[in-house]
Amino acid sequence: MQLCIFDLRRGQQEGQELDKILFFFPADLPFATQLSVIGLSEGLITFTRIFSPDAACEVIEAERHSHVFYEAESDIWMVMVVDKSKESKAACQVDALRKVLKEVHSLFVLFHGTMRSMLEKETSGGLIRSHLYPFITDYLSGCGDLNLTCNFWADFLTGRKLQLPSFHDCLMERGTVQMLTVGREAAIEVQSLVKVLECSAGTTSCYSLVLFQDLLVSTTLSPDDTISLFTYAVLRLTPHALSSGATSWSYLQRTNAGSQVPALSTITNSGSVSDNIYRSRDASLDQENNCQVKRPLHHNRWFRGNDGFLASDIWGTDNGSQTSVTPIVYLQLTEERMYLCAYQHKSLTIILLVPVSSILNGEQGLSLVKQQVLENASLKMLMVEEKLSKGWGGENAYHVSGYRYLLVDDERVSRASPPAKVMTLAKESLLALSKLREEVNLEKKRAKCSNSEVNCDKELEICVRAKNGAWVIARTSRGKELYMVLEKASETLLYAADSVEKFSNRYCSGVFSLD
Amino acid sequence: MKERNTTSTLKRILVNCSSQAKEYGGCVAKKVPEVERDMCLKEFLALKNCMQNVCLTSVFCYIKNFSMSANASSSQLTVGLSGSGGLSHAYVQYPPLKCNLPGSRGLYYDDANKLLLSPTSDQVFSWKTVPFSPHVAATADYINEGPVLSIRYSLDAKSIAVHRSNQEIQFFQRETRETFTHMCKSESESILGFFWTDCPVCDLVVVKTSGLDLLTVSFTSKSVNLVETKKLSVNWYVYTHGSRLVLLASGMQCKTLTGFQLSSVGIVRLPRFEMVMAKSDANSKPVLAAEDVFIITVYGRIYCLQIDRVAMQLHSYRFYRDAVVQQGSLPMFSSKISVSVVDNVLLVHQVDARVSILYDIFEDSRAPISAPLPLLLRGLPQSHTGRPVNVGESLDRNSSNHELMFYGDDWTFLVPDLICDVASKSVWKIHLDLEVISSSSSEVPSNLEFLQRRKLEASKTKQLCLAITRAFILERRPVTMVAKAIDVLVSSYSHSVKTCSNLKETKVDEASASVGTNASNSSRSAKDESRVGVGDKSFNLSASDSDDQSREIDSRDLQKSGKENLLGAESSRGEVQSSSLHTQQLGLGNNQLNANNSERQDSQLTSPAISPDEMYSCVFVPVGEEIVGDPSYLVAIIVEFLRSTNSEKIKVRPNIYVFTIQLLVRYERFAELSLLIINKVLEPSKEVAMQLLESGHQNPQMRKLALDMLRQLSLHHDYVTLLVQDGCYLEALRYARKHKVTSVRPSLFLEAALASKDSQHLAAVLRFFSDFIAGFRNTPEYQDYFRILNEMNTGLAV
Repeated sequence: MQLCIFDLRRGQQEGQELDKILFFFPADLPFATQLSVIGLSEGLITFTRIFSPDAACEVIEAERHSHVFYEAESDIWMVMVVDKSKESKAACQVDALRKVLKEVHSLFVLFHGTMRSMLEKETSGGLIRSHLYPFITDYLSGCGDLNLTCNFWADFLTGRKLQLPSFHDCLMERGTVQMLTVGREAAIEVQSLVKVLECSAGTTSCYSLVLFQDLLVSTTLSPDDTISLFTYAVLRLTPHALSSGATSWSYLQRTNAGSQVPALSTITNSGSVSDNIYRSRDASLDQENNCQVKRPLHHNRWFRGNDGFLASDIWGTDNGSQTSVTPIVYLQLTEERMYLCAYQHKSLTIILLVPVSSILNGEQGLSLVKQQVLENASLKMLMVEEKLSKGWGGENAYHVSGYRYLLVDDERVSRASPPAKVMTLAKESLLALSKLREEVNLEKKRAKCSNSEVNCDKELEICVRAKNGAWVIARTSRGKELYMVLEKASETLLYAADSVEKFSNRYCSGVFSLD
Repeated sequence: MKERNTTSTLKRILVNCSSQAKEYGGCVAKKVPEVERDMCLKEFLALKNCMQNVCLTSVFCYIKNFSMSANASSSQLTVGLSGSGGLSHAYVQYPPLKCNLPGSRGLYYDDANKLLLSPTSDQVFSWKTVPFSPHVAATADYINEGPVLSIRYSLDAKSIAVHRSNQEIQFFQRETRETFTHMCKSESESILGFFWTDCPVCDLVVVKTSGLDLLTVSFTSKSVNLVETKKLSVNWYVYTHGSRLVLLASGMQCKTLTGFQLSSVGIVRLPRFEMVMAKSDANSKPVLAAEDVFIITVYGRIYCLQIDRVAMQLHSYRFYRDAVVQQGSLPMFSSKISVSVVDNVLLVHQVDARVSILYDIFEDSRAPISAPLPLLLRGLPQSHTGRPVNVGESLDRNSSNHELMFYGDDWTFLVPDLICDVASKSVWKIHLDLEVISSSSSEVPSNLEFLQRRKLEASKTKQLCLAITRAFILERRPVTMVAKAIDVLVSSYSHSVKTCSNLKETKVDEASASVGTNASNSSRSAKDESRVGVGDKSFNLSASDSDDQSREIDSRDLQKSGKENLLGAESSRGEVQSSSLHTQQLGLGNNQLNANNSERQDSQLTSPAISPDEMYSCVFVPVGEEIVGDPSYLVAIIVEFLRSTNSEKIKVRPNIYVFTIQLLVRYERFAELSLLIINKVLEPSKEVAMQLLESGHQNPQMRKLALDMLRQLSLHHDYVTLLVQDGCYLEALRYARKHKVTSVRPSLFLEAALASKDSQHLAAVLRFFSDFIAGFRNTPEYQDYFRILNEMNTGLAV
């Protein structure tokens, strides 16, 4: 697996090609190889732009590799090269891979602002390189079971597991939020809590995100910001993320210490190798920047403080008060800088974003806000947590027996069968679904291109019988998508269609019932 | 001149009352971070007393210096004492009801019938005090001449009973002027008093030193029959008709009390209980007097207040069916104390200190609800003099100066809310000034709670509540505080809705009762049953649980006040001449009916409860107009309101949802809005969907939500029309077929299909309608589009 990020506006002169590279993984690859990958990509982009200036190439399928392209910001491209082994031939959805790239980028932007602005701030590129490297390796290197909702395809290139989607993940959708279904009463309580939070922070322009377990309950952010913040929260902040980090840490300590530690050292070594390469060119600047590089995705660095607020030493500690520094995030829509305060009570995680501009004296002002939040809302938070856990059906709350499904609404909200249940599916079914999804994505894209004026979304209905006799079904209707695997369904198509109809009426208020 | 006077007064006050002022100031200073109402009451009263005395002397100086008429000045003095800046929590309205008749031999109050009675030598004049009007005409009845200790009309107002002497009660039938006398059997016992009752077994209860006699009175046999006797040695007794409770005092100190409740449900004997009395020293045995005990009815509960002169406390007891529970004590700042109950608010008149303190004993809190202030006189005619507030002169011309001697010795407080000035023979009714009371309270939620319990001037109170809430929100108080206030209003409304059905039933009942002879037993008992049903705690020994009912009863039933004994003690004799006043009596009856009706119209608003609709139109909309900038505060409050209504299970009309959507859309808070819609916090309805559609121009997500909502509400026609508008005519057709929607014009679909320039689709649509709608093939529409389709196809072929 190779992953690179490069800027087409840089290094256009002969001999300065290295300047284009903002990030390359694995970093210890010789520059010639790196440059050849990037050169190929750049060539293809330039070539395809002739025919389609707005949307250049998306993917190249070679015999042994797939190249997945994603234009993160204008002229800044992320390219992922994945090997095609015999076994997983056509198993990886290109779309899912692109969504990984998108997610990395949106998380990066959340904490560091856009790459372009960073490049403008520091034209030599040393700053962004020093930030990208730890950020992306932190993102890609996951403890195996860190995120329960997906299975990981392991890549031992650098001795560490890399999180990449595989066909196993075809019943999940990256880059969407998962919502908790709540009754009206609980919803009112949550809204009431949200309002109290907003008012107690003193400024009207603060935002909040409420999560229960790993599910979103409420948000006042714009959809894009919601998705990136939700992703981060599920990765690092929710009780699940906090505790799984802790357990895997102890696991590492106890049993695998011997085998893991050298691996860790290799990665730091390789990191320093590449750093050294870059630093050779802009050494003085980098020396300073390097110590300031924060790693928001660094594992196991968040913990719950005594006051219920989550704290992390990632951003260092405040000189005066010994409290850890509160991270600042960037909103995409308004480009505002916000303090990120997270409060946790049992399964409830509340993220409060307070505008940096509204807090005059930094950490001190923030602690005042926190205090006020506790004063005004702690009772409400207890009550909301209690209400939500009463109504919460557990891990398998959204399991529908007999069905393995994925529901996507507007490409923003998704709901799926619990991963443990998806695991029970046969490989053939999953491969078939993976292929089907690829087809649907293609179809969707075509529809988008052809009638972009009409806002009526493509309606689609596909039922496929897989080799193992399972029905694999996809339906889209008015922006909503439903993917389904029915393994125990009987032979006839009629039966399968009937099952979908039942599901649609019961769980989707009839959205997918066409007739 | 005036200025000089005031400055000198102030100086005098500062010089003379420095010690009291210091004490008061010191007390306040001690507690300063937590300022409470009445926190230094004792010190304040001391200071106030001192100041008043200084005022007195200053006025005398004033008189000396300027030799003004003594009359005017002294009345100025009294106004000065009572006015206190013109603000007071309670007031009496000018003019009073004048009961001044030549030859009057005293004034009696019949609290069962709410009649003020004044016997002359051979007649008894009565004034109705409910509804209170100073211009009510007196009604006269003839009675024989003789001494009068007390007079009471029977509950059906057909007969009069006159307490003549220790041994004798005389009865008169008003219609026939028939009369007979009931004598005590033995010489050893004497009659202390009597009262009429609506108890099913008897009509009249006579309290004697040896106990209670329960009697029935029959004019046909001209006799009374003894039904039952309750043997008990009695020193004195207290009775109010409002509570139907008679308390009999016995023992050396008269502090052992036995109670009977003689209500229409039956007779309940309460357990005997002892009043608490502090002793000044070991040997002294203070004797409790009848004047020291008050029975009050508040919120349908019966309490007894007892003066403990040694401890200077007013003890309160609450009566339950099987227990009497002491409830705590109120402070006394005067040796003479009187109580009134106005609109379920207890007024403790500290007569010597010339102030009244208000308590709302709904909860167990004994904290007064406002500062001790004197009663105020309102509504003095100013036109007489042309000068403002020079009360003395204008009054001098009309009446004696006594009238303004507030808290004077001539004042008698009648149960529950009247003041009788014996000297000037005038009767005042006490009113509460809710505006002043609420403005003196800074705790808005508790203040609203207090207001919501007021029933007398419901519509005025309601407006006051609305104004307070509006102001509270506009001041941008913390959401949690506003939420509390809203909770109060909503739960009060929910309570009033729950009791409303009951109220209607009883109203029907009342109507039939007033049409028939007032005292028909069956309708009574029916009413009482319903009354029991209304009572929130059946455990309570209740007189009348809902105020509306108690008013109804009061306007018709006869009552006797426990205080009447005071009046009766100085009674004079009067002669009775029977005369047929048939017509007059009928008139009275009619009046009563009318009074009932008018009162009902007045009080159609029986409670100041605020419905969600009124909340919307009188609070949220005006506030929304006034609040500038970000609406999230107002939305927060609306969410709190929805939370409150949801927990009380009150339906909210869609207009408030529509309003919320407008607010959120105006500031483009679509994320919140869609959450509110998805979670059904804003409940789905057609209005809501239409509002969402309107905002769909700004955000397509909203349009989708609206469509989903229409679909879920099964508003097929609108849904199909909108689908066609969106260009999804094929889906619309499928939906129309499934749900058999025929109301959408085919031409809409055809136009949409034509617009898509797809001949196959157009053909499909055309074909669909010719199958779906019978006779479609014969319409001109079909012909037109068929032709167009042909042209398209030929065009393609070419």
